[in-house]
Amino acid sequence: MNLSVELEAREDVPAWLVYGTPVFTVVGALALSAVALVALSVNPVAAYGTMFVETLTNPFGLRQTATRTVPLVLTGLAVYLPLRAGLWNVGAEGQLYMGAVVGTWIGVNVSLPMVALVPLAILGAGVAGGIWAGIPGYLRAKWDVNEIITTLLLTFVAVQIASYLVRGPMQGGLGNIPGSAELLDAAKYPTIPVLEVHAGFLVGLLAVAVTAVLVARTRMGFEVTFVGSNPLAAAQAGMSTARVYLFVFLVGGAFAGIGGFSEISGVQGRLRPAFSPDYGFTAIPIALLGRNGAVRVLIAAVFFAVLFVGGSRLEVSYGVPAALVDVIQALVILCLITAEFFKRYSVDVQLAEERTPTDGEPGGAA
Amino acid sequence: MVGFAAGLLDAAVRASTVFIFAALGEIISERGGVLNLGVEGMMLVGALGGFATTVVTGSYWLGFAAGMALGAALALIHAFLCITLKSSQVISGVMLTLLGTGLTTYFGTDWVNESIDGFPQMTLPLVGEYLVGIPVIGEAFFRSTAPDFIALALVPTVWWFLFRTNLGLEVISVGEDPETADTMGVDVFKMRYLCVLLGGAFAGAAGAHLSLAFSQLWATGMVAGRGWIAVALVIFAQWRPERALVGAYLFGLLDALQLRSQGIDLALDPASPLAGVVNPALELLMHPTIMSTYPYLATIVVLVVTVVRFDDSRLGAPSALLEPYSRETD
Repeated sequence: MNLSVELEAREDVPAWLVYGTPVFTVVGALALSAVALVALSVNPVAAYGTMFVETLTNPFGLRQTATRTVPLVLTGLAVYLPLRAGLWNVGAEGQLYMGAVVGTWIGVNVSLPMVALVPLAILGAGVAGGIWAGIPGYLRAKWDVNEIITTLLLTFVAVQIASYLVRGPMQGGLGNIPGSAELLDAAKYPTIPVLEVHAGFLVGLLAVAVTAVLVARTRMGFEVTFVGSNPLAAAQAGMSTARVYLFVFLVGGAFAGIGGFSEISGVQGRLRPAFSPDYGFTAIPIALLGRNGAVRVLIAAVFFAVLFVGGSRLEVSYGVPAALVDVIQALVILCLITAEFFKRYSVDVQLAEERTPTDGEPGGAA
Repeated sequence: MVGFAAGLLDAAVRASTVFIFAALGEIISERGGVLNLGVEGMMLVGALGGFATTVVTGSYWLGFAAGMALGAALALIHAFLCITLKSSQVISGVMLTLLGTGLTTYFGTDWVNESIDGFPQMTLPLVGEYLVGIPVIGEAFFRSTAPDFIALALVPTVWWFLFRTNLGLEVISVGEDPETADTMGVDVFKMRYLCVLLGGAFAGAAGAHLSLAFSQLWATGMVAGRGWIAVALVIFAQWRPERALVGAYLFGLLDALQLRSQGIDLALDPASPLAGVVNPALELLMHPTIMSTYPYLATIVVLVVTVVRFDDSRLGAPSALLEPYSRETD
């Protein structure tokens, strides 16, 4: 008796699968992570209760989630836009750091009223992040240099530069603790009344809106999507793939840079080395989960923000290492690409009595 | 000066071993048609697994083997996702790096600050005793740790395997033209699994060398981007083992230079006219933090130069790289 597995490429994907995939993905990842929790002799049900229910049912948890969402959604968009064009920006972390460096420098050294200083710092941070992503974008557009490697390597460079600056030229009055001087009060995001979340939250929402309109309503957005789905056809239709590539990296990098400054201005108050808990890398699964639209990027960012906030609760309540959150993230992507497979193929598993000798088993080679 | 050169060369040779292992593994995997962007994660897993095994069992050889096995285990996920499920090799690789980073941070905290006796320095068996005395290169090439020697021996071995054995030629055919290979009776799926697993084992070995021989400790995130440099190295090497050796030495030298930069004083006499400009610039460029960015910047420069100098067809990338193979199409 033989197990035969038949794979068939789907002609079209049923709607329940399109909308169900992210849900199954998350559920699958949480189920896998539960194994790790059990290994640590933590009850996964209680742990997930702490992580999600407690986080989302009290005002403090909600505020923290909103705050964490800001850098995550901005770096998420920085990965999302190039992804629309079929490119990988795995260096949002570096762009975040460069934005934080320039934004902080402006926020410490330029004396202006808040209405001018905050926008100026945001602009500076955006330009810095845009340039940092623009280098790999240009190399890819002009010479076809693999953008995955260059964006990632530039991240290591950016983190080292920030580390050098806050220990040297930008070192502020903190004694021996490495860090810049405190931002001027006029450079700090005001708090939104009632919500009690810093104004960077609005910046994040604005970025989502801008991206959504850009992708869905503008000619450039159309070209980005076209190039992403079929670069050869796009080139034949007279579109410049190079222009599109450069554009998505410049705009994406700018978002990540603004995300860096937002974290300094709204939360930290001063630039420290290694201030980011890998926001820019978390952006990769965020963009993957939300690749069908900017609003979905926002939803995915909120989900990961809950993971961050809930994860640190878990750490306090159960002594679970924070790195577990990293593992859950990776498992989300693992489940995501597995789910992709089921979106593309329908699998027919049968128990057969006899197998014909010519029966090639494409999917069963494992 | 001779002493400095010998010391620098010695450090460079040791720093290059990691790149040799990782790049050779990546070459095998990509020759079979599967890009592995999970090297960094596989190296981390190999480094921690090798270290922990050595602490527990006391045997660094067992640790080295465990590192290789764990690298291959992570690669098995990649193979399953990319070859069987035909998922995107890019996503799967990046995901595995994230997974490797997360897992090693998670499980690694217990092992930070443990001490081990890793691979000891030894002279090359049989001939080493006679050759160690050669000035400048003697110590660098003939007194080292066992994995350093293994890595060097692997360069001609992998070359011979790929270009002179039947199995190797089948690997190349699977990476260049899987349809034809399949028609000729080569099992494309099996062959690709083999390549990816070998690549993962090599990456695991690179990591284990890092924690067991190179630094003899475990530190969170200690691979520090070397896996990505290895991926870029393969493009620089145009998928050829012997050129990967050259590239590995180049980056080993950069690594070594950075660690030994304090011994170099290039500052101009304060009285000379250019001192006001040159000395602060030198101070910045020779700052250890700034110098630690050079390997990354150099990788980008090398990558750009390689890609600009050769067009795609002469670059030598396997034609079916990134393309999942499925029999049922057409």
